[in-house]
Amino acid sequence: MKSFFLFALSLFCFNALAQSADDAVELPAPSSTAQRLYAAAKGDLLQVRVLLKSGRTQSSVGSGFMIGTSNLVVTNYHVMSQVALEPETYVGEYRDTAGRRGAVELLAVDVLHDLAVVRVDRSGSGFFKVPQALPALKQGQYLYSLGNPLDLGFAISEGAYNGIVSRSFYEQLMFTGPINAGMSGGPNVTVEGRVAGVNVSKRTDGELVSFLVPVRFVRDLLQRVAAQSNPPADFKLEVGQQLLAHQASMVDRLDATPLTFKQLSPYQVPVWESDQVRCWGWSNTKQDNKPYTLDQVSCAMEAALFVSGEVDTGYVSIQHKRIQSDELGAWRFGGLASRQFKSQGVGWHKDVRLTPSQCVEQFVDNGKLPMRAVLCVRAYRKFPELYDFTLLTASTDASRMTLQSRVEAVGVSYPNGLRLARIFLDSLAKEVQP
Amino acid sequence: MNAPYFVEVLARNGEVRQRQRVETLPIRIGRAYDNDLILDDHHASPHHALIEDDGQGGLQVRDLDSNNGVVCQGCRREQMQIGGDTVFRLGHTSLRVRCADYAVADARRDTTRHGWEGWPPALAGGIILVLLTLVGTWGEDTEKAGAILYVNALAGLLGMALLWSGGWTLANRLFGGQTRFGRHLFIAACGLLVIETVSLLSSVAAYALSLVTLTQFDSLLEILVVAGMVYFHLLTINPNHPKRIAVSAVVVGLLGMGLVLMVNFQKGGIFADELYNSDLYSPALRLSADKPVNQFLEEAQHLKPQLDAERGKPVNGVSEY
Repeated sequence: MKSFFLFALSLFCFNALAQSADDAVELPAPSSTAQRLYAAAKGDLLQVRVLLKSGRTQSSVGSGFMIGTSNLVVTNYHVMSQVALEPETYVGEYRDTAGRRGAVELLAVDVLHDLAVVRVDRSGSGFFKVPQALPALKQGQYLYSLGNPLDLGFAISEGAYNGIVSRSFYEQLMFTGPINAGMSGGPNVTVEGRVAGVNVSKRTDGELVSFLVPVRFVRDLLQRVAAQSNPPADFKLEVGQQLLAHQASMVDRLDATPLTFKQLSPYQVPVWESDQVRCWGWSNTKQDNKPYTLDQVSCAMEAALFVSGEVDTGYVSIQHKRIQSDELGAWRFGGLASRQFKSQGVGWHKDVRLTPSQCVEQFVDNGKLPMRAVLCVRAYRKFPELYDFTLLTASTDASRMTLQSRVEAVGVSYPNGLRLARIFLDSLAKEVQP
Repeated sequence: MNAPYFVEVLARNGEVRQRQRVETLPIRIGRAYDNDLILDDHHASPHHALIEDDGQGGLQVRDLDSNNGVVCQGCRREQMQIGGDTVFRLGHTSLRVRCADYAVADARRDTTRHGWEGWPPALAGGIILVLLTLVGTWGEDTEKAGAILYVNALAGLLGMALLWSGGWTLANRLFGGQTRFGRHLFIAACGLLVIETVSLLSSVAAYALSLVTLTQFDSLLEILVVAGMVYFHLLTINPNHPKRIAVSAVVVGLLGMGLVLMVNFQKGGIFADELYNSDLYSPALRLSADKPVNQFLEEAQHLKPQLDAERGKPVNGVSEY
């Protein structure tokens, strides 16, 4: 703690020094748009906090904004997830820019797009409107994100709109500007003050690569709120249903995508390659002088659904590994293959979210490749009809070469898990030598 | 009842700790220096007891009005007849008196192979350990790690074996009077050889016949072998009670197995060592037939009811995450 303060203090001194040195130089004019927007939006901007019921200590912090002149507030689902899943332990609270506090009541969640609507005991001034007709955005145009970064205080940040991202399963907007933890759920507006989206996430491996939920999903969720007479009694059920809907559309979409076959000669390995599923290759041959070669193709969805701090779900990953050796004898190669197969690892440590794994294993032949197949399944304790599937295979066609595959389907229904397993088991193949 | 008489001070396990020859009766026992047998026992009186002729051709012990008395089988006695096998206690000292004509049992048959003591079994054990380590390490050396891997493994395993057999040797010295390090090292090496062989055979059989259970409970087999090792170590220390030792080895084995099962369950919620059999061998070793994909997925379908039943169960008393 002490060192943190020291760091903050030194940063402050440095800034003060820098400022005095710059006094001689003429400063650029401050962004009047940001000033104007913040001044206008200030009254309708909220910090949304989740508190532990016992002790009232804060557990997570995000942002939100008042819709029109109503008492409804839009924020991210991930800000409110604890209140949705564990209402007996957590409770929500808001704090506005004037420092006023009040209770929040969760009305609706949209796990897939990461949105939530809550009700508060005050009304908005009408600054943030979500109309039927949505703003058309052009790449490069200025956008402004508002929120309370890192619980430091309310802030506005400027950036540029950079199109729709197709990497995530559900459409998101790319915002090239700073979004920090705590700004989640805050609004993102155009120069004219029209809501473009909701701050949701950023890439930590890049700079200023941030993402917004498009405002049309906010509109859809608000329509759902308007149509419902009472909020759902149990949000766990609601979240479970949305997850089921997500996995259904995800697996259908995957199934509709034709499989791409990659060559790990002499094997042909099936993958899905699309905007959502990205593949990467890796090989050990060049790096080091090992007595075997290992070539690998890994494909995974880059986005998963956030359900709670402990659960990310609703994605598929595929990995194929070819191990081959001329140097090692059959015995030692068996040992190598076993260690690789073991390290494929099916999580089996006791878990409060998932039941212990149950597995079946067998020598299986699909007519194109004989293999040892292991299928392990775990069930989500909290969400009925949702499971994690892990399929492991090791080909048994040669004594000094093996193809090991791992397909993981996280958060899918039982029939869909089996369906994905079947697709892979059926399509793994070895080329027939002419 | 012939002179001389021998008063024997016994250890708790019945062994003679000290033997005093006395030519004539009565025999005076106590802490004072004018006794025939002087007891270095704070709980014995200066003149504690007297051994004398009971007038019927036997011996008797008489309490000389001592503070703590003469105790036999838990009861304090003023005076009692004693035979060659009667053990009585003065203070903290257990005593027995035997006459020169006491009939001792015949010699027990010597089953110990005296040629197989000392260096020969130690050397044999050492060779087994070195070979096991080298073969095992060679099997795992798939990364071209070089000689350091073998040296490291040798040092580690030999160190462990020395500690293990050193412990048994110490116990042997304490309770059996001899060291017999060579024997203990040999037992340890043989035990390890059996463990490795059993594991290998069960793993190959599990792969060849697709019998998953064999590898899932490999650690139980290993504990069985360790229990066998404990039996032979104990028998080396004291060969007199093989049945009693067998029972203790079985108890040790059962406790070990129970512990392993509990640890497995606590760690992963299942009793098996591992979820699936990851041991792969050359396809030539495979005997079990390939199944069609349909049948495999059919089997997977049967997991669902078990998983759904498990879902409702609380985890360590916590039903929510």
